[in-house]
Amino acid sequence: MPAKLINLEIDGRIFQAEEGMTILEVARREGIHIPTLCHHDALEPVGSCRLCLVEITHRDWKGWRGLVTSCLYPVEEGLQVTTFNEDIRHARRTVLDLLLARCPNSTVIQKLAAEYGVLATSYAKNETDTNCILCGLCVRVCAVKGCNAISTAGRGVERVISIPFDEPPPDCIGCASCAHICPTGVIEFEDADGVRRIWGRSFPMVRCPSCGQPVMPEAQLEFEAAKSGLDPDYLRTCPACSQKKTVDTIRTTFELKAVEVAG
Amino acid sequence: MEKVLTITPSRCTACRTCELACSFKHSRNGTPGIARIRAFMFGEGRNQVVTCFQCDEAACVKVCPVSALSRNEQTGAIEVNELRCIGCGLCAVACPFGHMNQDRVNHLAIKCDLCGGEPACAAFCPTRALEFK
Amino acid sequence: MLIKSVKALEDTARQARERRSAVETEIIVCAGPGCMLKGGLAVAGALEKALAAQTKAARLKLGLKTTGCHGLCEQGPLVVIQPQGIFYTRVKPEDAEEIIKHTLGKGELVRRLLYRDPDTRERVEQYTSIPFYSNQVRIALRNVGRIDPCDIDQYLAAGGYLGMARALSEMKPEQVVEEITRSGLRGRGGGGFPTGRKWKTCRNAPATPKYVLCNADEGDPGAFMDRAICEGDPHAVLEGMVIGAYAVGAAEGHIYVREEYPLAVERLQGAIEQARQRGLLGENILGSGFSYDIRVARGGGAFVCGESSALMKSVAGEVGEPRAKYIHSVIRGLHDRPTVLNNVETWADVPWIITEGAEKFAALGTERSKGTKAFSLVGKVRNTGLIEVPMGMTLREIIYDVGGGIIGDRPFKAVQTGGPSGGCLPASQLDQPVDFDSLTKAGSMMGSGGMIVMDDRTCMVDVARYFLRFLKEESCGKCVPCREGVHQLHAILERICTGQGQPDDIRKIEALSDVIVKASLCALGKSAPNPVLSTLRYFRDEYEAHINEKKCPAGVCRSLFTFQISADKCRGCGLCTEACPVDAILGELKHVHQIDEVKCTRCGACRNVCRADAVEVV
Repeated sequence: MPAKLINLEIDGRIFQAEEGMTILEVARREGIHIPTLCHHDALEPVGSCRLCLVEITHRDWKGWRGLVTSCLYPVEEGLQVTTFNEDIRHARRTVLDLLLARCPNSTVIQKLAAEYGVLATSYAKNETDTNCILCGLCVRVCAVKGCNAISTAGRGVERVISIPFDEPPPDCIGCASCAHICPTGVIEFEDADGVRRIWGRSFPMVRCPSCGQPVMPEAQLEFEAAKSGLDPDYLRTCPACSQKKTVDTIRTTFELKAVEVAG
Repeated sequence: MEKVLTITPSRCTACRTCELACSFKHSRNGTPGIARIRAFMFGEGRNQVVTCFQCDEAACVKVCPVSALSRNEQTGAIEVNELRCIGCGLCAVACPFGHMNQDRVNHLAIKCDLCGGEPACAAFCPTRALEFK
Repeated sequence: MLIKSVKALEDTARQARERRSAVETEIIVCAGPGCMLKGGLAVAGALEKALAAQTKAARLKLGLKTTGCHGLCEQGPLVVIQPQGIFYTRVKPEDAEEIIKHTLGKGELVRRLLYRDPDTRERVEQYTSIPFYSNQVRIALRNVGRIDPCDIDQYLAAGGYLGMARALSEMKPEQVVEEITRSGLRGRGGGGFPTGRKWKTCRNAPATPKYVLCNADEGDPGAFMDRAICEGDPHAVLEGMVIGAYAVGAAEGHIYVREEYPLAVERLQGAIEQARQRGLLGENILGSGFSYDIRVARGGGAFVCGESSALMKSVAGEVGEPRAKYIHSVIRGLHDRPTVLNNVETWADVPWIITEGAEKFAALGTERSKGTKAFSLVGKVRNTGLIEVPMGMTLREIIYDVGGGIIGDRPFKAVQTGGPSGGCLPASQLDQPVDFDSLTKAGSMMGSGGMIVMDDRTCMVDVARYFLRFLKEESCGKCVPCREGVHQLHAILERICTGQGQPDDIRKIEALSDVIVKASLCALGKSAPNPVLSTLRYFRDEYEAHINEKKCPAGVCRSLFTFQISADKCRGCGLCTEACPVDAILGELKHVHQIDEVKCTRCGACRNVCRADAVEVV
């Protein structure tokens, strides 16, 4: 069933959108830039970093205006959005200044902060050296993958991305989606000699039966096979060798066909 | 009627111009991209060139945990939504034909997208082994 | 025995009242939080023992029960003799025999246990004559301190569940919503949202099933109103919730009780079982066809779980973290379904409104804040305890008429309301009426009912630091402005209180606070700067003294002052020498004493005991 269409105003321009879309979705569709840190299209938004704040108002709201996170706010008929003004600039600048205090050595944060005029933090620097901005993307992607191997623990500034009991997580399948999604490169993994090391665990990689190259961690393969219902042996072959097999099949089929035609 | 990338292997000379064109078309920031089409030399009249079959019931679409793969209704190609892709690599092993790969640096899924409707490989193929019609 | 109809309920209540009136005199022992801490249960035990030793005839004439908080915690352990209302204070177990003897005897009073008026120095016989009590109007607390909370018959005898009976048998759900709306009841948990409007929106939300919840996560330091209601009159909460569930169309509910209130959990659990046994909760209540059941959910031990969306996540078994409420919980709340969440005190008000009528509730209070409000009046006030007063009573009236003024007649400095989300108001604001809107305009907020009175020996910068430390530890950590911002605000305050304040600290505080207020995800963050902003507004000079002169005028921040004994005022009585824990005071009797500044830890014990006000802050 098609969603209801509504009209909203962003920075003085009127756009049409489907009810249920967020302000950020509409802005991105129209090429209007709104910065984000904790947002990823594959994951449900959480409004954690607050960088995507925009100011909203409505003619029926008797002059009330306020800042909301565009990643979460659902569009509605008559909504009036401003994506950049002094309040927003000050809020984003402060958020980045605070993040720079927490992660002074993160090049990603340094670069973003510099865009808002913050070259050094105005606040007390974090004593612990970390580049983790607690965006939660790693935890959320692990949940979407279906593993829930890592999670947040603790509250406030004591909050950390954690593994159960601080021990190598038993539910991790070594897919490294967490490492790929981390915006500041905090999560490390190493592939060497056919073994992937991540979160303190060693994952022997499956080797392609044709060429012997490592394909993916055995644990991941088992997980994906179980989840998708596909035969694990079918998943073992690397794309290059799969392609070669495909080509061989086509070629032999053609040759057989040629013989048939000739004969 | 929707256009289709047609491959006539008997015309293929395995010159690999298609691979070059594909790589160029998918360059980013001056770095050539991984080619999404591959030519194989077996001898005259027996060469092969393969790329994504844009399957009707694609395994890659089915297994993706975040629905990052979907069909472009205009071109008929299955495309990777790079903003959704989480780089887990499942689609790469799930494709029975080996046509899905992963970018070595950012781990995102890589596949033939028919160049948005004007496949470069077909445009540059000197022997019409590849045609978009 | 199941009560199957409204008539059966009325009969049961009548029988309970008749049983009660057969007993001539009742001895009530307060077992509220304050009195329990002071040994109230031992007093009850001693009275029970003394009573058991009497003749059978005597025992028939005298009843004994323990109740919830009677109110004047400062004077506890309290014992009240009804129906006369005789009020015994600071009772010890050794007094039990005498009380029994005198009460059974010629009705004499144990005069030494009676309350003594601080001004006239005369003994007062009845608690109703004490201004602390006579200025109160108890609606939410109507049964607290009057009935045994573990005995449902006492609740019934007091008219319990009649409101529910009326709603289920005589009113349509829409009419119940109407009645609550007309009463003007606004949420008592601090938010002050019109209750009727909340119920109406939930009622009209299309999704099902719906849920009706109670927020008993009372997290504000110093607040114990909800605790007193849950421990002292749990059925009032249950009855209110059934009425609300009927109005909204819910079949299931939870009471979310903070982890740190095990007795409240026990009492609520007990009340739920009793109510279920009698058919007053669960399937087909009172034969009306309406079914609703309640479960107690225990909190995770976090202040943030008092926030509605965090609470609902916690009830659902997830980590209690708030979410952005662009879609309200009345539309999508617990399990993504329409949910009504109200505070304990709000629920306790509901049955009274249905029984007595909306007009009677609306007749009390002010134009936009109807009814009464319970407060835990604590701090440097004489009569610390649990009170309930009509909205609109001024801060001055509450602190001086009900509260009896400041201990030791010291100068009033500030009153803190609204917990960590609230603010401090100075003497110039004492005539503000206490309601939802007036205090907010003045820079504070009424909040859930915590009221902390402060005298001149309180440092307002230290107060702000205290609340920021609390909030920093309780922040869930999800959003940057609250997690990092409150942490940094606290760090600035910490520096100021330890003599490392910098000239642009106030500007920094104000700029950072502005962003925390505007950009935080939930109300914990949005209101976190209130304590510091309100103290800056009214006590800026104190901040400036800390920052510019590195001095704490109130004598609290230890590295920013020293104590000195005034030669003019010191009488040489020696009390300070005795009180000093580190032997830093020297002096002969009747001669001026002196403090050794090196040994002195600036704990303030000498200042507290000195009757001549001779210990000065330098």
